[in-house]
Amino acid sequence: MLLIEADGKALLAEHGIDVPAAVPTINATLGDLQGKARGTSLPGTGPWMVKAQVPVGGRGKAGGIVRCDTPQEAVAAVSGLLGQRLKGHKVDVCLVEQSVTGDERYLAVMVDPASYGLRVIYSVQGGVDIEQSMATQSRLSPPHPASVAEALADLVANEPAYRRSHIIATGRRLAGLLLQCELALAEINPLFVSDDGCVAGDAKLVVDLSAVERQPRIAALLEARPQSYADANRKLTEGFDYVEIDPEGEIGLVTTGAGLSMMLIDELAARGMKPLNFCDIRTGQMRGSPERVMHVLTWITERPSLRAVLVSVFAGITDLGEFGGLLATGLEQTPALRVPVVARLVGRGAAEARRILADRHPGMQVTEDLEEALSSVAAIAGEPRA
Amino acid sequence: MIASLSRNTPVIVQGITGRMGLTHAALMRGYGTNIVGGTSNRTDTKEAAGVPVFVNCRAAVLATGAVVSVAMAPPMETLGAVEEALAAGIRLIVTVAEGIPLHDAMRIGRAVRRAGATWIGGSTPGLAIPGEIKLGFLPDVCLRPGPFGIMSKSGTLSYECGYRLVQAGFGQSIWVGVGGDQVKGVRFADLLPVFFADPRTRAIILVGEVGGNEEEECAALLQRLAGRKPVYALIAGREAKEGVSMGHAGALVLGEAGSLTSKTHCLTAAGARVFGSIESLIDACVQDLT
Repeated sequence: MLLIEADGKALLAEHGIDVPAAVPTINATLGDLQGKARGTSLPGTGPWMVKAQVPVGGRGKAGGIVRCDTPQEAVAAVSGLLGQRLKGHKVDVCLVEQSVTGDERYLAVMVDPASYGLRVIYSVQGGVDIEQSMATQSRLSPPHPASVAEALADLVANEPAYRRSHIIATGRRLAGLLLQCELALAEINPLFVSDDGCVAGDAKLVVDLSAVERQPRIAALLEARPQSYADANRKLTEGFDYVEIDPEGEIGLVTTGAGLSMMLIDELAARGMKPLNFCDIRTGQMRGSPERVMHVLTWITERPSLRAVLVSVFAGITDLGEFGGLLATGLEQTPALRVPVVARLVGRGAAEARRILADRHPGMQVTEDLEEALSSVAAIAGEPRA
Repeated sequence: MIASLSRNTPVIVQGITGRMGLTHAALMRGYGTNIVGGTSNRTDTKEAAGVPVFVNCRAAVLATGAVVSVAMAPPMETLGAVEEALAAGIRLIVTVAEGIPLHDAMRIGRAVRRAGATWIGGSTPGLAIPGEIKLGFLPDVCLRPGPFGIMSKSGTLSYECGYRLVQAGFGQSIWVGVGGDQVKGVRFADLLPVFFADPRTRAIILVGEVGGNEEEECAALLQRLAGRKPVYALIAGREAKEGVSMGHAGALVLGEAGSLTSKTHCLTAAGARVFGSIESLIDACVQDLT
């Protein structure tokens, strides 16, 4: 999971990498910033970069990064961005930053899955179009900061001698951060390089949610921003995956299995429907409690755009008889849910599940056939709204 | 190692006295897998699921000659379980845990590589050679001997494909769940030569998803090997939200990297057929091999 830039930069700074002076701003502190603007006590002397804090790449192209020459422009940019949606994410935080000068480079250290080591990547063409850049070079390295530094030394061989040591030191610290915090990726793009040293213009840090329980610093960052990290926090507290795809979505999903849930979202969208959420509820871990079903039904019911709910469970091991009972209870405990529910249940105990649901929710459609369930949901979504 | 697994291959279950271990040891035995023992921290248990329980892998391997282990360990304990199994001489290990820390997975990968062993997982339902052996918990209703080699990141999406193949009167030669983690054991590209060399396999089904570069890596190898058997691919996650892992830790899209476009492009260029829905994939598979 990608950290927002402000948190990424906080970690970089803690590991000895220079970052620009900055003030993170949320709606509640916009007033402070305006006050500061009058007294021109924004970070540094300007110009400033106002940056929407959403966990996606390509923010600049999407309009999420604004260069401002005056304090008034900075305040206007912040209030313009807060509350907007950028590439599917709501902007809850903006970073107001002193702009930095220097030559723009690209530097990243990442876990390399095929070699079970690290990959260090460097490019003399830093900036937004790194993926298209032909100047990017990389080296594999064992997972040790000193090895990464050595690999990086090859990649910066053409840089002026007095700058090389700064860049290599930055890379070594970046590798130390990645290893210590168990990150998947630590990327700085652009890295501003000047004769004075290196400053991180951006920070793209991908954390491993599976390691959070032994990474207190990462846990604290996630906990401190319930809105920015809603999906991650939900996973950590609930023990299963639920990701809101579209808050104005029409089809709520109660599904198990990550791959199948993703595929269902794709198939719904291909039929012109708007799926609301991704969900891997993990029926195998429910252990007789309807709690997970109730939580998912409650979250999707909170969205007024909801038109229908699609339940899909392929039970290899799970006993659907038990799941059918839990689903029936979950539905009874969510009275606010007033849209049709279509359940596709196949596998062990499907007949028993059908019997329970027919008894307790007589109007509900239950089928073993996924294509039939998708068609039914499409028909409901196609009806005029009541 | 994978293609030569059979009903005779001796297998142990690490963590056999746990809830998962007990259930799946019994289900695997029921399928015909030659489960010869298990391990447990509980010293008071001498037998579970009808097989002897040992204090550790070394004792289990010495007593039974097991060469394969299915580790039913929690994610944080999987690294330790693999190290123990490798030290005991296990040659193939399946780790089913979902949520193995990424950096633990790197350590597991390095240890397995040093030992020259084979690792399947994590976040996997395991593998099967239908009619011979099942390691893990692929549902029996989806398994039937047949001509399709399946490799999949997702458990449930592959169940869906396997089930529909069975309904259509087909089945699988070798089915490997490579798992949804970013750092894992056997990868798609490792399996391509296995399927090409296996006489039972006539066609290959690749069930991928967004994130990582395994599909691209496999496509590059497919191109080099000049596609001796047809490859049918299904990639989930076209509508995935960028920057957030979609259930599987590996299913993370950042910009162009790991995107559906990139995977579809590479696989198609290498001669694979990429489908947008389960139904269209299965229809094509069935039609071509009928």
